Amino acid sequence: MIREILLELKNISKAVHGLAGSKVRILDKVSLQINKPAQAGQIISLLSASSQELTTLLKILSAVEKPSEGEVILSGKAYNKPEGKIAFIPSNPSSFPWLNVKQNVEFALNTVEDTGSKVSEAILLTGLESYEEHFPDDNSLGFRFRISLARAIAAGPEIILLDEPLKNLHGETKKEIFNLIKDVAQKINVTFIIASTNISDSILLSDRIILMKRHPGRLADTIDIDKSKDVNVHSDYYNSVKTEIDKLLLSYENVPLK
Amino acid sequence: MRFKKAAAKNIYKYIIAYFVLWVLLFEFILPVNNILPKPSVVLMSFGALWSYYKLPYNFIITISAVYLSIIIAYYLTSLLSAYIIRRNHFVYDFLSSLHWFTTYVPAIIFGIFFIYWLPGSAYIEYLFAFLIALFSIVIKVKEEAVKIKREYIDSAVSLGAGNDVIAKKVIWKSMQPAIVDYLIALQFKIWSVLIVFEFIKGGYGLGRIYRLALDYKDLSALFTVSVITGVIIFIGAQLIKYFKNKFYRWSLD
Repeated sequence: MIREILLELKNISKAVHGLAGSKVRILDKVSLQINKPAQAGQIISLLSASSQELTTLLKILSAVEKPSEGEVILSGKAYNKPEGKIAFIPSNPSSFPWLNVKQNVEFALNTVEDTGSKVSEAILLTGLESYEEHFPDDNSLGFRFRISLARAIAAGPEIILLDEPLKNLHGETKKEIFNLIKDVAQKINVTFIIASTNISDSILLSDRIILMKRHPGRLADTIDIDKSKDVNVHSDYYNSVKTEIDKLLLSYENVPLK
Repeated sequence: MRFKKAAAKNIYKYIIAYFVLWVLLFEFILPVNNILPKPSVVLMSFGALWSYYKLPYNFIITISAVYLSIIIAYYLTSLLSAYIIRRNHFVYDFLSSLHWFTTYVPAIIFGIFFIYWLPGSAYIEYLFAFLIALFSIVIKVKEEAVKIKREYIDSAVSLGAGNDVIAKKVIWKSMQPAIVDYLIALQFKIWSVLIVFEFIKGGYGLGRIYRLALDYKDLSALFTVSVITGVIIFIGAQLIKYFKNKFYRWSLD
């Protein structure tokens, strides 16, 4: 079955001002094609050693930043103005501490039509139904991530971009958020694109891993994770994929990732 | 936090010590002097302050000028926040150019011009205080706008929020605790400028009492009014802190 193209990046490059007026190239001719998910959502990881390049790429994808060259095409149309169809969740907490959980999620309604139902659905999906009146600044990073995710879902996007969602999380909270992302991706027809510098998280979470070279950021290789196989840190399959990724990353620059 | 509480406790201890020292020194050891008044004379001077200096009336004039101007300026800024925060806007550029003048010309100089232009107006003091408050708050908003966490703006932009929504519902809300904190410093600034303004202009207000007390060389009136002024500014600061903790308590991590 031929699936429709969901997202296409065409030769995306980005240069920023460096020291003494020089220009530093952060992204170099990044081209990529992602198809619409067959049934439920899909999780795609962008794996690189450079957080800055990953973040810049996600900002360009969501039209928060403009590329120096190239274009982003979403469902056949140029996506160069943020419309909420590609929601971006930054790595640091982005839920608003002056609004409670419900008001935070309702913020998405500034941009889309309706609807109380979208808000309730997003709150339910992220497990926040008992915390609607709670404020984010009283709570943990995991809690704040849930709110940001609920707000993104309420906007009704086709793609949700997560910038290193597990970076500052540990122990039980990390496990909870990990399971939440997997769970939400299975329940709604949204593609998650996750920027990550962590090989293990990427293998365990994703359906597909796209490896990036750095300085400047370029897409290098793609690895599809076979979900029919046993994917856990003790399985042979996991270890074989990890070894393959390690080799590829070493071949790019001889600097191993975490 | 614990250190702050301990420091506040120490300050109160010092204030009590100064008070005791003042009573001992100026009531019993140096009752006649030109440095500070005798405590018993200060107590007796309340009556004269009340009737002769018209303390309540003059205090109400200055207090209303200070706090009405702050309240109106704050709410006006809140209403116009989207216009003020958005860059490249006419209001923003206009205020930036005025800010340049106020960097080098003290606010009271503008006050002297106001007195010159409208010497007999009863409302000139209110207008002057309001302009200082509005201008100071707007400049503070301009300074705070560049400190807002990028994450808040980026996530709102990606959801398709427009510039006005981001300015009003994200940037303005995010900076509100800092702006309310700034009101404590601002009330002190307006009190200082207004006392000098009233001192020069005459007519009414707290500055008028200072001027009369100086003319009559009334040390106890000067001292008492100074203490009352300090107490009112202190209460004003505590009220602003209370409102901040009650309504604008979020931190920005």
